Amino acid sequence: MIDGQVRLKQELIRFQSIIALLLMVVAMSFLSDNFLTTANGWNILRQISVNLCLSIGMTLVILTGGIDLSVGAVLAISGAFAAGLLKNGIAFSEADLLIQFSVSGAILAGLLMGLFLGWFNGLMITRFRIPPFVATLGMFSIARGLTMLWTKGFPITGLGETFAIIGTGNYLGIPMPVWISAALVTVFVVVTRKTRFGRYVYALGGSERASLLSGLNVDRIKVAVYTICGGLSAVGGLLVTSRLDSAQPNAGLGYELDSIAAVVIGGTSLSGGRGSILGTLLGCLIIGVLNNGLILLDVSPFWQQVVKGLVILTAVAIDKMSKKLQ
Amino acid sequence: MDVLAASVAGIEQVRVRLDLEKASMSGIVRLTGILSFGAFMMLTVGCQNQTEQTGQGKVAVVVSTLNNPWFVVLGETAKNRSEANGYAATIFDSQNDTAKEASHFENVIAGGYRAILFNPTDADGSILNAKKAQDAGIPVFCMDREINSTEVTTAQILSDNYSGCVTLGQHFVKVLEEKGRYVEILGLVGDNNTWNRSEGFHSVVDRYPDLKMVAQQSGEFDRAKAMEVMDSLLQSTPDIDAVFCGNDAMAMGAYQALVSAGKEEEVRVFGFDGAADVIISIAEGKIEATMMQFPKRMAEIAADWADRYLNGERDFPSKMPVAVELVTARNVDEYVPYGKEGD
Repeated sequence: MIDGQVRLKQELIRFQSIIALLLMVVAMSFLSDNFLTTANGWNILRQISVNLCLSIGMTLVILTGGIDLSVGAVLAISGAFAAGLLKNGIAFSEADLLIQFSVSGAILAGLLMGLFLGWFNGLMITRFRIPPFVATLGMFSIARGLTMLWTKGFPITGLGETFAIIGTGNYLGIPMPVWISAALVTVFVVVTRKTRFGRYVYALGGSERASLLSGLNVDRIKVAVYTICGGLSAVGGLLVTSRLDSAQPNAGLGYELDSIAAVVIGGTSLSGGRGSILGTLLGCLIIGVLNNGLILLDVSPFWQQVVKGLVILTAVAIDKMSKKLQ
Repeated sequence: MDVLAASVAGIEQVRVRLDLEKASMSGIVRLTGILSFGAFMMLTVGCQNQTEQTGQGKVAVVVSTLNNPWFVVLGETAKNRSEANGYAATIFDSQNDTAKEASHFENVIAGGYRAILFNPTDADGSILNAKKAQDAGIPVFCMDREINSTEVTTAQILSDNYSGCVTLGQHFVKVLEEKGRYVEILGLVGDNNTWNRSEGFHSVVDRYPDLKMVAQQSGEFDRAKAMEVMDSLLQSTPDIDAVFCGNDAMAMGAYQALVSAGKEEEVRVFGFDGAADVIISIAEGKIEATMMQFPKRMAEIAADWADRYLNGERDFPSKMPVAVELVTARNVDEYVPYGKEGD
């Protein structure tokens, strides 16, 4: 019964985001002839793919009642790590040894870097009881510093055509980043709705104490969630690096805020326990349509930031008001 | 004798490398402290043993940001040149934050540094910082960016963004034969160099009524952001002839978007900086032109002047512009990344 009500509420919230998105799409297509075209549609989906990777991980973290401020920095180091290995390999000058990496080896190494840093976040939060805000703020600075050390402050460019496929290639006429992010959305919709792990994530965010008392291994769930979030940030990092054919030392600056915004606009509660991956997908779409539309309309860059802020506030305000009415 | 000299040079190189690592590690050192006090102590001790003094004393290199390779080149050249002149040199990264810059200045003054090679974060905001150094009797030499008071600095060695973009604008007009549609991708809209460049460019181009700017958007000096903006602009204004970008990173991003849209042949891309990628791309005929700023040249002049000041010379021009040069396919083989062949 209660479960049914919760689910109904979630459906309603998701419905709101769809209405907001539809309103924006209709408005934009009246304002600009170039908005509602197939090419621009793919364009938007490709542009949101990186934010979507980060936001899926962020949704899981926020569902448990936590936050991850390190996603942009982990994205930067994972992309740069893979790019550096691919371009230069690792040299051990003492042993006169140079290890070269294939494309798949470098990609795997980038993913492992993300997973490891995410796991480290989880470890700090569970083992040392550091609040997620502080632990991931620490990781933010560590990963940014590591990126500078690894790249020495210069972009790593010229990564070859094979590596470029994941960011710029097409399969069946659909851009690869869209395939990848769509696959991730599907997997994590199933994980959150159909698996025991998914139910535990919601339970943990609903009440950590109750979860603990009912015998859930709370720490293990948290570590898993932060590790997944790190891994998804690495996927985002590989996509950005591949698309630009370049790992930028300052890649992903401010991405953590974009992904938190997408999660919140998508109706996930910052206090945990309530929200969904599909809501986050809608949040990413709303931000993507807004970014794209404001540029198509050639709105002044000064105003764009104001408009984005207002949209975030409106989305959350409507969400709060509708809950009051219920 | 030669063997001795060679080994001294070897030690010198090792020290330079360690110092570089130290500069980029300062961010890490700060936050590891939150996580583990032990690790903090180890890292701090590890970093501290670098600061032993050489005969002539210490020089501070305070750079606005190390988040952009151009400034990394500026900072490292200033540091290396000072070391070649016989000083111990340290780089401080202000992370584009005038408040961080202020605390760097306090530390530099308290730390007994003898001169500051300064790349300010803000033309007005940095005046107070430079004044603090001046009051403490430490000479300040600005590199690349100016501050709006020549009284608090010993000399300012500057890259002229405005007139550089006037030259670029003239070339732009010539290449497009005085007519066509173009878009402009601005840098960070809160940065005065963004507007110096844009205004210099428009002071020329706006005099030709057949050259129409169809969109003006910000790419925040960032490659990924510029690519995204260009992607979208190609939807709303597909038939354009040229793109003017406020720096080279954005020029590369815009070029990449043009490649995905299959328009790289028809649209000419113009950048500003003289970064490595763009110099190569000009040679390959991908990018039309950029303006070479000379970070190495400016940093070397600043380091040498600081040396001369500390040896008693007082006669320096308060402002010294370093020319910015147009690089096109015609003359690109005279240039290398961030400078000229043989710099």
